[in-house]
Amino acid sequence: MKLTRRNFLAWAGLGAVGAVACEGFGIRRGELDIQSPVRLPEDLVRGSDNWYASLCRTCPSCEGIVVRVMEGRAKKIQGNPLYPTNQGKTHARCEAGLQALYHPDRIATPMRRSGPRGSDEFVPIKWQPDGIDSLRNALRANGSSSVMITEPLRGHLGLLVERFASAIGGEHLGFEAIDNNTLRAAVKNVFQQDTLPDFDFDNSRFILSFGADFLSTWVSPTRYNRGYGEFRQGEGRDRGMFYQIDSRFSMTAANADKWLPVRPGWEGHLALSLAQVIVSENLQARGVDVDTLVGGDSGIQALNNFRPETVAPLAGLTPEMTGGDPVEFLKNLARSFASNRPSIAIGGGSAGAQSNGLFNLEAIYALNFLVGSVGGKGGVRFNPGSPWDDVPASSKVGSLEDWTRVAEQIRSGKTKLLLLHGADPVHGLPDSVRLRDAIAQANDLFVVSFSPFIDDTSVMADLILPDRVSLEDWGDDIAEPGPGYQVVGMQQPVVNPLGDLDPLSFPDVLLTMAQELGKESQLPWANFKAMLREGSDALFAMNRGSIEASSADEFWNNLLRRGGWWDERRTGPAGVNAPDGLFRTIAGKATGPDFAGIGMGSDSFYLAPFAHNTLLDGYNGHLPWLQAAPDPLSTVTWQTWVELNDVTAKRMGVKEGDILRIESSKDSIRAVAYPTPAAPLDVISVPFGQGRKHGSDYATDRPGRESSNVMDILETTLVKGTGSLAWAGTRVRVSKTGESVSISKLEGNARAVEIGLTPAEKIIKTIAPENA
Amino acid sequence: MVTKRIEHKWGMVVDLDRCTGCQACVVACQAENNIPLNSKAYFQQRRAYEWIRIERYWEGEFPNVKAKFIPILCQHCENAPCEPVCPVFATYHNDEGMNVQIYNRCIGTRYCSVNCPYTVRFFNFWEPVWPKRLRNQLNPDVTIRTRGIMEKCTFCVQRLRRGEVNIERRGLEPLTGERIPAADRKLNYRQMKEGNHLPACVQACPTNALNFADQYDETGPVKKHFDEANEQIETRHRGGHVDEAHTRVYRLFEEIGTKPNVIYLKKVEPFPLEKA
Repeated sequence: MKLTRRNFLAWAGLGAVGAVACEGFGIRRGELDIQSPVRLPEDLVRGSDNWYASLCRTCPSCEGIVVRVMEGRAKKIQGNPLYPTNQGKTHARCEAGLQALYHPDRIATPMRRSGPRGSDEFVPIKWQPDGIDSLRNALRANGSSSVMITEPLRGHLGLLVERFASAIGGEHLGFEAIDNNTLRAAVKNVFQQDTLPDFDFDNSRFILSFGADFLSTWVSPTRYNRGYGEFRQGEGRDRGMFYQIDSRFSMTAANADKWLPVRPGWEGHLALSLAQVIVSENLQARGVDVDTLVGGDSGIQALNNFRPETVAPLAGLTPEMTGGDPVEFLKNLARSFASNRPSIAIGGGSAGAQSNGLFNLEAIYALNFLVGSVGGKGGVRFNPGSPWDDVPASSKVGSLEDWTRVAEQIRSGKTKLLLLHGADPVHGLPDSVRLRDAIAQANDLFVVSFSPFIDDTSVMADLILPDRVSLEDWGDDIAEPGPGYQVVGMQQPVVNPLGDLDPLSFPDVLLTMAQELGKESQLPWANFKAMLREGSDALFAMNRGSIEASSADEFWNNLLRRGGWWDERRTGPAGVNAPDGLFRTIAGKATGPDFAGIGMGSDSFYLAPFAHNTLLDGYNGHLPWLQAAPDPLSTVTWQTWVELNDVTAKRMGVKEGDILRIESSKDSIRAVAYPTPAAPLDVISVPFGQGRKHGSDYATDRPGRESSNVMDILETTLVKGTGSLAWAGTRVRVSKTGESVSISKLEGNARAVEIGLTPAEKIIKTIAPENA
Repeated sequence: MVTKRIEHKWGMVVDLDRCTGCQACVVACQAENNIPLNSKAYFQQRRAYEWIRIERYWEGEFPNVKAKFIPILCQHCENAPCEPVCPVFATYHNDEGMNVQIYNRCIGTRYCSVNCPYTVRFFNFWEPVWPKRLRNQLNPDVTIRTRGIMEKCTFCVQRLRRGEVNIERRGLEPLTGERIPAADRKLNYRQMKEGNHLPACVQACPTNALNFADQYDETGPVKKHFDEANEQIETRHRGGHVDEAHTRVYRLFEEIGTKPNVIYLKKVEPFPLEKA
């Protein structure tokens, strides 16, 4: 355009109008003057977003979430503020559901094995006819000799899978590498409950935890964290006191007011010694019938075998650990536990993963009866069953005995069809079960995996039929542990699968199969959504709970909108009676732990494996955010590290980053040394979760072999009474390999630590409780 | 006509007695703010991007040992050491109490990073790369930073702006969508919570150790702590004495006078280790 006088004036005029308009749009004069004529990109908020309620599936506790969706893409996961268990809060793991959704290594289409089994050679096929036909033929031929292995299932998917397995005459087993079977058995024996209880930390004044890493990985950490925050600094209450008795300095132990490093496996004895003090000093809560609880004189005599004088040396307590006489310490601990009511005793993790784990947990949970915390405020709260008669409210998981049997069935040719969903047992079982070899060598076996990712088990499949991930699919959950009343969570698809992916929903495939095999009588639904809708209609017909609606349609919409349904008035039992002579019975079972593996010696250690803060047992190993989230204590990322005491390390000449060989009688693994001041001298700890051999680059063995699976070296010691793996019952030998790597950790990233200029107390200030 | 924008002064309070070091804030921040995937090499080179990080400090030796956690993020200092050293004014202080980085002005001198006493500024040594499919997750409200420039915690300014737009300009209640009378259109704490306008870390924190609000918002959880912290500063200014043993409020590196808009509440320690 030619610049004439007229044009110039016109443009100048427009510019002036524009300047006035800018003012009108609300940019502050101050910003125009001294800040930036270029607006910050963050100032430009465009487009509108939608938030959908759903459920998180990155850990078994299954939090209620809301997902932000813009232009058909899921952008962010947050806690659902309405959902009763997590109340708007999330764990680090929940966020990473997005990475499972948009993972670069998702299996795009159904695949058939083209090379030898386990070679990771597959060719893509079509769902129709190849994929569906192969599955139907396999089910028709060998359905009655099939085993279906899934993640722990509750709710309608649990019902569907159970019915499907029984319709085809096969077996269904839930798989969890670190199972809660021993905890469930203890809860059953002590409280006669079939579902896991809730712990009312919010109102508790004293928490005594034995081995349960409840702030990081144990059972329902998001809920426990929320309660813990209130326990510490809630409005209108005094700060609670928290003791952790644990053979490893876990994240939970780090948050305790006092950590007591117990010799592995002696937690139950310690619990009984506290009970002995409470009973002998008459410190029990008012109204507790000690005579019945303990079992009369014979019970008292049995308890007297657990006097602190006897137990303290067995549990390896020294005056340095307890700041004086260990016996006095235990007595004082019992006194504070009994006097600071409501108090609560919980146990789990390594305390239950010993050969005597069931005894340990029973002894620990029985303490709650003495202090009157069973069913009461600030104590153990029980959960009611499922709102539907036939839908399971708690998941059933196979024990190591079951898995050994399954491996044997595969070897013997009795099992001819293996169906896998959401479980990676080859990675999650000790090598000594030889599941991988059994599958690899079974000629007549047909393996179908519904996994959307390649992992150590799905790589063994003959047929892979990729499932949708949770953000693309329907589902529901009966919260376990619930908050003390009935809670049903709803999972709805928040986005469609991307165009280059062709997954089919696993429950839909099962329902299609049921119809094609003529099993409609047991599984009459056209698809999983229809099944859930029927459940919703049944809830509507009950006419109670959090959703008010005038029609079943309105109820369903509200159910999806709010992410679930709950009925605060339908609570679990307010209290339960202890079995007569509970303490006498438990004391009668008392044994010390049995350790297998390398015997005692200066280079041998107790091995205390632990669930990884974000990867858990390896279930989340393929999600890069979770690999890169530093471990709270060591701050190590991506690698498998071994925590050992720094004094021990010095004696062995081990420096940080040295690669150590950890050897049991079964096998050996390599791990990067992380010397720490917080490990007992004779205990080393290695996280579960790393060391996958197949699948995503994010999860598998990395260059330098710094990722290994501690399951490979675990001895197959069983927990007496439950048949679960006693994963903390192995002793190992540690030696140097002579190799060393740069450790991948956050510690030292910031200069305060790196140069050591700033002492910790200058950064983290503390205050005495009386002044807080 | 000049539209009056509503004044805010944002502030965060971190309760160390609640913090368990669980990393929920760290991952929430990475999901919200398009932070590049931290590979193993980034950690090994000490160049990992964590706008908020949990530092862990050891104290003592086995068996009398403690670990303490502290979330560290940009402190949004009132007297920010990073601001005067930027030769191109890419980092500046806005009148909402935030220390802001303008990415397209930054020329990557890294002076700000050198001058920051809290080590919370991150330089993009590499072009950020995501596998193609993972890019679908990226937040459209947040700029992806290119190689060669600085980035840092923004207090999730995009969430605050969205709140300001929705509540103060459009006048829409977050959950119900009802119209708010013009006189009441000021983003308050409840609306921030319900409308997801709190920073991602605060929204995620399961123990409620992280709290965020307008420092003057009577309904918010931070005002009383900021009042106390400001009073401490006044007292010190006057040459008076602050009784450290009886207050939980403190600011990180108080003595260097940066006057952060993030304040910490001391951890309560019933059994302190005896110092040698």
